[in-house]
Amino acid sequence: MHLERSGRQSVNKKHLNNTLVDVENYSFDYESNPFDPLFNELTFSIRKNETVLLMGPSGAGKSTLALCLNGLYPEAVEGYAKGSIRFEGRPIEDFKPGELNQRVGVVFQDPESQFCMITVENELAFTMENLQVPREQMDRKMDHVLESVGMTAFRQRNIHELSGGQKQKVALASVLLLNPSLLILDEPTANLDPASRYEFIQLIYKLKQEWNMSVLIIEHQLDDWVEQTDRVLAMNRHGQLIADCPPHEAFYDRYKEMVGEGIHLPKVVKTAQASSTYAKPLTEAELLNVLGESALEEKVKSSGIQEENQEVILELKGVSFFRKKHIPILNGVDLSLRKGEFVGIVGENGAGKSTLLQIMAGILTTKEGKRRFINKEYEKWDERELRRELGFVFQNPEHQFITDTVYEEISFGMTLNGKKEEDVNDRTEYLMDKFHLEKKRWANPFSLSGGQKRRLSVATMLDETPRLLLFDEPTFGQDARTTHELMNMITDLRNQGTAIVFVTHDMDLVNNYCDRVYVLNEGEVAYEGVPSELWSEKSLLEKAKLRLPYQVRLQQELKRMERKEVVGHA
Amino acid sequence: MLNSINPTMKAVTIFVPGLLLAFVFDPFTPFVYLIFTIAMTFLLSDLSLKRWLLIFTPFVFVALSFSWMTMLYSSDTFSDGRILFSFWWFEVTEGALMVALSLGLRSLCLVALSLMFVLTTDSTKFMLSLMQQAKLPPKLTFGILAGYRFLPTFKHEMEVLRQAHKIRGVGRAKGIKGRIQQFRRYAIPLLANAIRKAERVAVAMESKGFTGSTERSHYHKMTVRKRDWVFLSAFVFVFFATVFASYMFGYLNIFGRQF
Amino acid sequence: MSNAWKLREIVLMSILGVVFGVIYLMFYFFGQGLRNVLAPFGLGPFGYEVIFGIWFIVSIITAYIIRKPGAALISETIAATIQVLIGSPAGPRLILSGLIQGLGAEVVFAATRWKNYNLSVLVLAGVSAAIFSFVWGWFISGFAALSTSMVLAMFIVRCISGALLAGLLGKWISDQLANTGVLRSYALGKEWQAKREQKAS
Repeated sequence: MHLERSGRQSVNKKHLNNTLVDVENYSFDYESNPFDPLFNELTFSIRKNETVLLMGPSGAGKSTLALCLNGLYPEAVEGYAKGSIRFEGRPIEDFKPGELNQRVGVVFQDPESQFCMITVENELAFTMENLQVPREQMDRKMDHVLESVGMTAFRQRNIHELSGGQKQKVALASVLLLNPSLLILDEPTANLDPASRYEFIQLIYKLKQEWNMSVLIIEHQLDDWVEQTDRVLAMNRHGQLIADCPPHEAFYDRYKEMVGEGIHLPKVVKTAQASSTYAKPLTEAELLNVLGESALEEKVKSSGIQEENQEVILELKGVSFFRKKHIPILNGVDLSLRKGEFVGIVGENGAGKSTLLQIMAGILTTKEGKRRFINKEYEKWDERELRRELGFVFQNPEHQFITDTVYEEISFGMTLNGKKEEDVNDRTEYLMDKFHLEKKRWANPFSLSGGQKRRLSVATMLDETPRLLLFDEPTFGQDARTTHELMNMITDLRNQGTAIVFVTHDMDLVNNYCDRVYVLNEGEVAYEGVPSELWSEKSLLEKAKLRLPYQVRLQQELKRMERKEVVGHA
Repeated sequence: MLNSINPTMKAVTIFVPGLLLAFVFDPFTPFVYLIFTIAMTFLLSDLSLKRWLLIFTPFVFVALSFSWMTMLYSSDTFSDGRILFSFWWFEVTEGALMVALSLGLRSLCLVALSLMFVLTTDSTKFMLSLMQQAKLPPKLTFGILAGYRFLPTFKHEMEVLRQAHKIRGVGRAKGIKGRIQQFRRYAIPLLANAIRKAERVAVAMESKGFTGSTERSHYHKMTVRKRDWVFLSAFVFVFFATVFASYMFGYLNIFGRQF
Repeated sequence: MSNAWKLREIVLMSILGVVFGVIYLMFYFFGQGLRNVLAPFGLGPFGYEVIFGIWFIVSIITAYIIRKPGAALISETIAATIQVLIGSPAGPRLILSGLIQGLGAEVVFAATRWKNYNLSVLVLAGVSAAIFSFVWGWFISGFAALSTSMVLAMFIVRCISGALLAGLLGKWISDQLANTGVLRSYALGKEWQAKREQKAS
């Protein structure tokens, strides 16, 4: 314990057991008179210093619950609430405005929109000003909290210049300044790349021990969290609690129930369930102890086309790109693509991945180096022709939407190209059917769900079957189901001969699907080849901040264990 | 020096002469005051002349265009004196030229005053000072700062939208209808995102214990010191001195009345 | 007064100020082109007069979306403050201009007791903002020196710009926005929701 909390421990002597939060028969909805409330009669509790994982399908209101627990809802939204929530035995209605917020800290999902000040220093000061911390103490507290999250060097920096992972650490730091008894993490790593996600989770693990607080984790991607979880709460689609038990019980004894509710379970659990073991491993090490070699999956190649014999459709030679004429972004990049190939481009933030993709798409041009697509130099392509052969799917689907309805969105390009109305109609119907959007035909693209938006953004690129489809981090911030759907669409396209390029941080995806992978490091190609050989390049992986895929981690861990065994026997 | 003047006081300082200048219609007063403002800008700060000129020069053209219009279409009150020259159907009199110069110089004077503020003031400190000195409610202060923080985000998003439109084959807009469609294609995604962000930021701020209460401590304590008052008085004093001088020289003109 | 406002509403107004600050640049270049064509005839300033209405659009959109007394006034003042923070060469004087323009729009909404937000009221609010801003501009920019017919011409152009670019365009954009579903928790979004449900039943 580092900071004062003397006044707090004396609260409510009667409440002698160590319960921190007590939720009883709690229902809530945004409508003031709901037919089927968002949560229904929830009853659970969180004990002091306990780590609880809250799961549930998207739309079950998990984030809303976070805001009910810190007292912002229902007041802020004029919603409906029934039942009671007690904090250290005291009903939350009895807290003054802002008082409960100081006991319950929340880190939210979107790293972009959690701050109100420009610099890290001023943002941290904002929290302390709210608490009326005397000015003389601010510097010391700021130093301390920045050290805790490992951001000391960033005190004077502008928040918008930081990476997503760094932003989340600043958000965490400003919440720690509240010195909360309960820390709620509302999908804080959903918008981070895997390496930063892992780092953030490890940080939480460390802080929990230093700061003496309960932690409530709301997450889709459970894998790395499971290790530090004491208890699991699961909600179903109707906002009812369906599990309140230790993790192995929730994941194994209720496996079918969870899967049926559309809840994603950790990879380790899925692997163990697919085998015939009765053990209940939760970590990769436990899994290997139980299953040994049989934990490894056979890799199935997804494509039927033999790429080596296919024609080259895109070729870059010695391509460089400078920002503001002198800051190098890309430096002498060589790259080639064959028909129907699936290629991943990976690397650290700022390595030049997006710039390279934009050059491949022809929306950025550079004079340095040769750039050919199919049979012509990029400069010689007619813009309209090029767009027909080459599609680009943006990270945020919304950026591509330009009309009011799903139907118009899909038919837009064809109408623009002066196709016959009948043909346009047929193709649009076909695409809507294929991408399961026919029920949303007249819906506004912005009002679709995340998965539907992603499908639509791909559909708009398929007026005709393009030769090349480029994706800028298409799985970023998306849930597992959306990713799965996307990969199915892509397999389909490849069978029709479309080459696919992904800029991605997701090494599991690279390992499972890509034929070849390019690693960019400081604007240069640091590796080019099949993914399976990349995973043994230790120093490169470290330099480019890449995390090994799950299956490869298992493989390497297994080898290490075998080696130990050999040594042990000898 | 200019950087450390209290931002609220600095705002008042450029406000007062800015308003008073509106009464003056002779070229002498704004000209002298323009020189004074520019001199103060560079004496009291280490701004680079190049940067200042880069921002100031376009306004010279705006001012010229406004002067030109004033000269050609001046009202009867001002178009006295002998005719200097005439072309097409225009007749330019001495009075018209003078008032045109006056208005052009006035607009440049306002720009110079504003630049003195804008180029030497930290946005965050300006808002904090408005809260601490001008008693702006914290809810407004931090609400405004929270929105301002998104400027780089939206600039970036605008760029991404431009690229996305290119991919979709939407080229440059033609005609009024095309322009309105183009405006919509930019505005809707930007605004939809802005609205979602506004809600998230507000919730995040309140989750950090922000209630809008005025009872809060201040990390940056903004104060008004003696030299802030000296600064303000100097600018007001020089204004009246200039007016007096132009009265002495017989130039002074207030709303068309010669003094 | 501000305590009656929710933080998210204030942040919304301020973010709208930022977005339109960025969008205004698009219009600014359009205005500049027009200015260069008109300049030789001494009509250069009309280039900006034509696009002047876009300045009032924040107050129209906010009032139409949030529908509370003071929305037009406060949002326009906030938007102007944001312009100052961004570094507008017009400087802190803009805050006063914003206040006056916002007041212009607000009077019209006040006259309907903040009950009526149909197209004609919004257009009228745009015109009223134009009138208020013109009177202020007459003072600060010295339009007294211009011939009456010129002042009248500028006045009419600005009113039309206010009616179209603020009133009409503001309503259109807001309706389009309501259609995307992001306004669900605001008055306009709720009205759309109610309409949709009525249609469905």
